[in-house]
Amino acid sequence: MTLSKDVYQSFEDIVGSNNISDDPALLDSYRYHLAHTAIHLGPYYRVYTPRGAAVLLPGSVEEVQAIVRLCNKHKLRVKPSSTFWSAWGYPLEDNTIQLDMRRMDRILEIDEKNMYAVVEPHVIGAILQAEAMKVGLNTHIHGPGSSCSCLASATALAGFGPDSMYMGQHSENLLGAEWVMPDGEILRVGAAGSGLDWYTCDGPGPSLKGLVRGGQGTFGGLGVFTKCALKLYPWPGPANFPVEGKPPAYKVKLPDNIRGYTLAFSTWKGWADCCYMIWEAGIGYVAHRQYSMFGRDLKGAMVKILSDHTKTLSDIEEMLKDPEIQEFTKEMHRDFQIVVAGMTPRDIEWQDKVLDKILEATGGWKVKGMLESDLYNWSLLYMLRLGHKNLNLVYAGGYDGCFGIGGTPDFGTSAPNEGEPERVEQATEFKKEWEKKGNIVAAGGDGMMGGIGGFGGGGHAMWENFTHFDPHDKESTEGTLEFFGATSEFGKQKGWGPGMEKMNDYARWTDGRTTPKEIREKLLSGGGVAFRYQRKFKEAFDPNSLGDGYYRTLD
Amino acid sequence: MALEDYKADMERCSQCSYCKWIPLDQVKSWRFAKGCPSIAYSNFLSYSARGRFAVALSLLNKQSTYTDRVVDVIYKCTTCGSCDVSDKICRYNLEPLEMIQELKIRAVEDGQVLPQHTAVIEHLKKENNMMMAPAAERGDWAKGLDVKNITEKSTEVVFHAGCRFSYDKDLQEKTRTAVTLLKNAGVDIGIMGKEESCCGGRAYDMGYKDDFVKAAEKTTTAWKAAGVKTVVTSCADCFHAFSRLYPPLGENFEVLHTVQYLDRLIKEGKIKFSKTVPMRITYHDPCHLGRRGEPYVPWDGKEKKIMNQIVVYEPTKPRYNGAWGVYDPPRDILKSIPGVELVEMERIKEYAWCCGSGGGSREAYPDFSNWTATERIEEAKATGAEALVSACGWCERNFLDAISTAGEKMQVLDITDLVKQAI
Repeated sequence: MTLSKDVYQSFEDIVGSNNISDDPALLDSYRYHLAHTAIHLGPYYRVYTPRGAAVLLPGSVEEVQAIVRLCNKHKLRVKPSSTFWSAWGYPLEDNTIQLDMRRMDRILEIDEKNMYAVVEPHVIGAILQAEAMKVGLNTHIHGPGSSCSCLASATALAGFGPDSMYMGQHSENLLGAEWVMPDGEILRVGAAGSGLDWYTCDGPGPSLKGLVRGGQGTFGGLGVFTKCALKLYPWPGPANFPVEGKPPAYKVKLPDNIRGYTLAFSTWKGWADCCYMIWEAGIGYVAHRQYSMFGRDLKGAMVKILSDHTKTLSDIEEMLKDPEIQEFTKEMHRDFQIVVAGMTPRDIEWQDKVLDKILEATGGWKVKGMLESDLYNWSLLYMLRLGHKNLNLVYAGGYDGCFGIGGTPDFGTSAPNEGEPERVEQATEFKKEWEKKGNIVAAGGDGMMGGIGGFGGGGHAMWENFTHFDPHDKESTEGTLEFFGATSEFGKQKGWGPGMEKMNDYARWTDGRTTPKEIREKLLSGGGVAFRYQRKFKEAFDPNSLGDGYYRTLD
Repeated sequence: MALEDYKADMERCSQCSYCKWIPLDQVKSWRFAKGCPSIAYSNFLSYSARGRFAVALSLLNKQSTYTDRVVDVIYKCTTCGSCDVSDKICRYNLEPLEMIQELKIRAVEDGQVLPQHTAVIEHLKKENNMMMAPAAERGDWAKGLDVKNITEKSTEVVFHAGCRFSYDKDLQEKTRTAVTLLKNAGVDIGIMGKEESCCGGRAYDMGYKDDFVKAAEKTTTAWKAAGVKTVVTSCADCFHAFSRLYPPLGENFEVLHTVQYLDRLIKEGKIKFSKTVPMRITYHDPCHLGRRGEPYVPWDGKEKKIMNQIVVYEPTKPRYNGAWGVYDPPRDILKSIPGVELVEMERIKEYAWCCGSGGGSREAYPDFSNWTATERIEEAKATGAEALVSACGWCERNFLDAISTAGEKMQVLDITDLVKQAI
């Protein structure tokens, strides 16, 4: 749809002529290709999200409010996005006004004493972390990595990541938010809403945190968040990362109170027990099964390539023939990465001793190859900054996660029935069979990547089995779609529950647009009461239905 | 390669937005985290590498056509290569800078040009320079300088002054200094005076490939006639043209930037410092000497897949990602000068912020170009330096203009200025 001249002019009057466009080619740069990081639907070959009616770049909450009011007046859908990392941030329907929040990019405050920051939508993890580190603090960086918006993670999504065990999910870290409601009114949630500082999201007075973001977040489907406060955490390291090395193999040497290891285990039971014992002991700063995203058979070669600027993907095949790399890879079969950070010299010594005791008790060890200085310093920077997270797309530009084995660490690592392999091994074998068809990267079946502690304090582990394909290749993309269909069926047959591969089918369908109502309701039926309540919220707050179907509701 | 050859890249672009920032590992502050001047100034996604992939694909698929906005998206890019470095943090099979260059070339072929560019290119055709100045005055910078002209006497080493350093009256003394330093250190060097012509590099970065090729042919024909084997230049744009754009045309001269030659001479003891230069300075890496100044590696191969779907190349493709740019020689020179204190800006080497002069931006978008330079001046000021030192006439001119516009007091120097002061 093209906006009428009058309507366009009304929007232009709000943001200025430099901050609005309905140029078709420009609008096409605000569409998302549903054949790579589709998170989590498809992949659909050469299917794009709908073209917006116009893109606007608001510069203030007042402008956002005026835009939303105008959208109500003209019954235009509105979709905000900050860093546009995945399909969530893009319209489901035509006739949508897209808000690119990048002009609202300030860190409004870092309260060192009370350990929180107030940020606008386009503040990304790397920037908030860099500024927080200057005053001895740190921020949680969520799974998609430090290129993504902190606010979007906290208000619109679940927001967990490798450091969640120590620094929580961003949904937990949310200490207040400024929300332009779908009707254009502004609501400040938490203490800030009572004219106080941004120290809590739950009062004084009734808490509205659950209402505005729900359990999973609004996915940009209900109003526009224009600022939020996030809890910060202690950082016992330098004020800046003293980065060394040539791109892309950047490395950092940190003081001895910050240490990073790859832990490996002879059994999956040992792996799971180690998670429990780490949480129980309260040690660790970052913990994640990260490099497995390259695949069980390839991760040894890949970390060597990525930490050496002279190497490229062309070196993989030769490296896989190297007996040392073969042994190194084999050693990391059941692994995860951990960073321990001591607030004092005694603390780090204690944490390391506890970790050694845990490893002794669980049959685990610190992988020696990962202690070699180049790999060690590369991995430490990787895990702390999460600035290479889009390596999940390294092979050909397309990936998505399937299975999604989540829950207690036992769930993925134990056998569902006596005499059967563990779930992770069953999923691995299943994927390996599909790798033989040639449409996905032959990575060894196990690309299970995920957090060791999805919440603050631990208690939850979740993996998604990374699957890599070529979004430019029809056969590869459609073969991947077929594989994901099979994994869903496999999970259903096994009683493991739905996989991540179709997590967002409830919102966006095969044509890139809103999922048909009857299918959506069926897919969301498991959400029961919560989604019915969300329907009531939507009716109350979004009477003109300007938001989209990513916000989960059931009639 | 043609624009169509990058269709795979357009569809494989991860849309991750790394192209907007400096490599995330290197982010040290909110203020200086941005990498791409184009989107930092214009804000819409289209002005980033990921956006340009999408715009190009839209045009190729005939989903859209050229409009004023599209032309603006195509040309309002300094082709600084910051996106290329950041994209290649996670990707080994994308070439955003090459695609952006091809998009400009296609726009020129399609007649979608900017009047400011066509004026410069028309002048280039007639007067062999990008400065809108008469060809006859090109050699004036060397008046009175005791240096031979290679068109009269053959020599193996030629100093190529370049358009900016030849004509810009504020910079001509630096050109004289470079030649004098080399000559006094015993280098048998010559110049071409008014017979020198434009390298063509800036025309290429604007999208005028044919005019670049003609300029290259003119220059190399003259060099060959004079028996030149080594080319030295103080201009980063010329350095890039000679070392990266000429070899694919079959031209193979040894190419050195002045800082590389001076660094060599200092290390060999042929240049010695006797004076102290008490000055706190910071160094700006010119894009065309730094991340775009990596040595050319011939490659003639094709894409192939391994492990089913991993995209690689046969034979192994050279990887230009900023790792091999000219970063150490200028710093080694500065560190060797007694009294000079080098303080680094936040964005340096492969992730340095652009001066704003390249890609035709200075010619067509003076406000954008000036804003980009001003951002760098702010970054330089944050170091507490008295002077911003560089190794490219185009960068220095853009900084001088930005400083003048803003009423700042920071000095802008070429490395050769400091070397001269210390001798």
